[in-house]
Amino acid sequence: MSLLKVRGLTAGYGAVEVLHGIDLDVEDGEIVVILGANGAGKTTTMRAVSGMIARTGTVELSGVDIARTGAEKLVRLGIAHVPQGRGTFAELSVIDNLRTGAYSRTARAEVDADIDRWFGVFPRLAERRDQRAGSLSGGEQQMLAIARALMSRPRLLLCDEPSLGLAPLITQEVFDVLRRLNSDDGLSVLLVEQNANLALRVASRVYLLETGTVVASGTAAEISSDDSIRKAYLGA
Amino acid sequence: MWKIREGSAQHWLLRSIGIAIIALVVVWVPTQMSSSRIGQFSDAFILMIAAMSLNLVLGFTGQISIGHSAFFGIGGYTAAILIKDHGWSPGYTFYAAAVVAFVVGCLVALPALRIRGIYLALVTLAVAVLFPTLVKWKKLAWLTEGAKGIDSVRYEEVPVWPILGELKGREGRAVFMFWLALIVVAVTYLVCRGIVKSRFGRALVAIRDNETAAAVMGVNLTTTKVLVFGVSAALCSLAGVLSTLKTGVVTPEGQYVTLLGSIVFLLVMVVGGAGTLWGPIVGGLVYVWLDSTTRDIGTESGGVLGAIFGWADQSPATLILGVALVLIMFLAPYGLVGLFRKLWRKVVVVLPKPAGSGSSSPS
Amino acid sequence: MERFFQYVFDGLSFGAIYALLALGLVVVFRGTGHLNFAQGEMAMICTFVVWQFHDWGVPLVLAVVLGMVVGFALGAGVEATVIRGVAKKSQAGVFVVSIALFLGLNSLAAMVWGNLPPEQLPSLFPDEPDDFQRIFGAVWRYEYIGVLVVALVLMGLLFLLFAKTKFGLAMRAVASNPESAKLAGIPTSLVLASSWGIASAMGALSGSLWGGIVGELGAGLMFTVFIYASAAATLGGFDSPGGAVIAGLSIGVGEQLLAGYFPGWIGQEMKLSVALLTIFVVLLFKPSGLFGSAKVERV
Repeated sequence: MSLLKVRGLTAGYGAVEVLHGIDLDVEDGEIVVILGANGAGKTTTMRAVSGMIARTGTVELSGVDIARTGAEKLVRLGIAHVPQGRGTFAELSVIDNLRTGAYSRTARAEVDADIDRWFGVFPRLAERRDQRAGSLSGGEQQMLAIARALMSRPRLLLCDEPSLGLAPLITQEVFDVLRRLNSDDGLSVLLVEQNANLALRVASRVYLLETGTVVASGTAAEISSDDSIRKAYLGA
Repeated sequence: MWKIREGSAQHWLLRSIGIAIIALVVVWVPTQMSSSRIGQFSDAFILMIAAMSLNLVLGFTGQISIGHSAFFGIGGYTAAILIKDHGWSPGYTFYAAAVVAFVVGCLVALPALRIRGIYLALVTLAVAVLFPTLVKWKKLAWLTEGAKGIDSVRYEEVPVWPILGELKGREGRAVFMFWLALIVVAVTYLVCRGIVKSRFGRALVAIRDNETAAAVMGVNLTTTKVLVFGVSAALCSLAGVLSTLKTGVVTPEGQYVTLLGSIVFLLVMVVGGAGTLWGPIVGGLVYVWLDSTTRDIGTESGGVLGAIFGWADQSPATLILGVALVLIMFLAPYGLVGLFRKLWRKVVVVLPKPAGSGSSSPS
Repeated sequence: MERFFQYVFDGLSFGAIYALLALGLVVVFRGTGHLNFAQGEMAMICTFVVWQFHDWGVPLVLAVVLGMVVGFALGAGVEATVIRGVAKKSQAGVFVVSIALFLGLNSLAAMVWGNLPPEQLPSLFPDEPDDFQRIFGAVWRYEYIGVLVVALVLMGLLFLLFAKTKFGLAMRAVASNPESAKLAGIPTSLVLASSWGIASAMGALSGSLWGGIVGELGAGLMFTVFIYASAAATLGGFDSPGGAVIAGLSIGVGEQLLAGYFPGWIGQEMKLSVALLTIFVVLLFKPSGLFGSAKVERV
């Protein structure tokens, strides 16, 4: 069974329906990418899956129905969401940011061990451990946001436009980290991106979203070799 | 649902009926009711004026103010001082009070230029508390007579107005105050209406909804905010003048001179309908009615209210109002007038004139 | 010279009470972004509750603790129901609701306890006429010392809560970014309600200490304290707990000094105007306060 199974997901803001019935799957150990232009509903999809907005439809995590579970509880169940724009706690120190990610965990020693581990993976964060998170650069904040999400030891990481506002080199670093986590630790990732080229290089499978519906899906190879999609999204 | 066109004969018929009803009430009260009842209406009028003035600043321009009691007090004290110490005739005190209040209002607006929200509320809070404190200040007692206030503010007996016929004594004064207050209400209403429907009024609403956008569109924030505060203060002071004329007394702990007064004005405005022209008018009536009905709860138990509150040591009026305020915030953010409009629209809809067919006023 | 120390000692004790209430205002502002106009009245009602417990025979210290618990429940309850409901609709609405609370609580206190002979709340500390200590020639009553110590201890505990505990971390996180806090698994609703709860409990203590000093309880008990607390929070910066404490103590000392050295101009009656003018001056020239960083000015 899939790690994440979504069927007929419908969501919106107030009277405006943005998602009109989305189906998608994330298997264990996959990096699944959602591509689409601005306004396609990518962020809405993420927020619907992580419980930040009201939604209807089926959402199952390893077969367990989570359609009515709130965001805070989902963290305990193993979903961590790195929001668009990083969402770091600007006034808190770097290390405090990490600690918030582990809020739902109780074993103090393990949490401290994890903090050391992620400081190892992100050495630049270790250098700035007591600095105010708001004073970090965009790329460092993105690393921090990912590290914070990882502190809850999730099974599924939701990542919303990690490349937003970042220089290409930094973006490359971020994606390398994601790929390593996926290949070394088996972390499953659901990734939303506008930067299609970069995303396709790490993706196992891809969904193409257009105005609230999935218009195409397939493996990364299939999608990148499809001419019409290439023209529309990849600037062939 | 009955659809009628703006400006049509039916529309005028509807308006005439409304005006006729109001005229009927206005003539009925002073001629048929007891002088204490008439006095209550005058109280309601005074409140309406204050609430209308606050509405300009808070309802239409979105600037929080709980300092209007100071402007009320300025009006009241200006009138008392001028009449008692300098022998002015009461009519001119309205103008004097308005000028003084206008200047003070403009000054109070200065902080409003740079801060918003709770910080502006704090500044106006400070103004509201500062006023009675200043009045009681020993250094100013030569002017304000300190904590005991100014009393025996007398002016010539009821002037002879043909409409009043033969009136003397308490009865006469009550009727006189009724008509005087009503006139000031009407003037205030017309001033507010004129402002709201003008370009200036649209600038106010623009500021309320999005200051930055308003500034970008060419609204001069400084001039507009300062002016509206000044005008609002001037109007509020008129209510203060009326209060002094009515009771002959003004004190620093007096009716609407303290912070509590500002709160009551806010209450009246919100319950009636913030941002609407008739809201404060309806609110004033409701408030005075509620106050008079609950006044005796503590001493005698009457009806439903008595059953619920009979145990209380003192009148539950303010508690009821507090609860009403909360309910209004949730259920009827546009107050009673807003509610009425929603229901009214299910019965009658006035369709605006099609564009380009002569002048059409925005409703 | 001993006059100076007298004013300073008295000022510190009063200032500590202002600081307690000001901390409540700051906790609410940092935690939820609102100004609780009813902070003083909530404190006042809790003080009456403390008196009531004591009147029923509960030992005073326990009564105060119970009063703080009631305060917590009151604050949390109000936030979870009324405030949060209105906040979704409009910011100005929250202010109006807190004004409604102000009125309602004031009225409620008058209704429940209004007609009894003026309630006397005993002090938590020995307060006989000869219970004092002479320091630098000035009289420092045990009562005042006690007030200062208790207030400082509690403020210290609050700072510990914020800085060292997991819940304090959660509060700081929610204050910084409520959305991200949810995503980190922090029970945001609980934290928001707790902010108001903690603030209200601090207010209850502030009221009990003040009531002990003032002696007689009335519905207007905490109004001037609220003004002082607002001035302190404004001066210190609404998002700076440390600032609120320093400002509260400073205002306490400042008003004593000004009233004492300028009896003709300021004296006892005009002390409040010091606080009011402080509000004016700060908001006119440095709206974010001495230690705050809140964006007050319109972009």
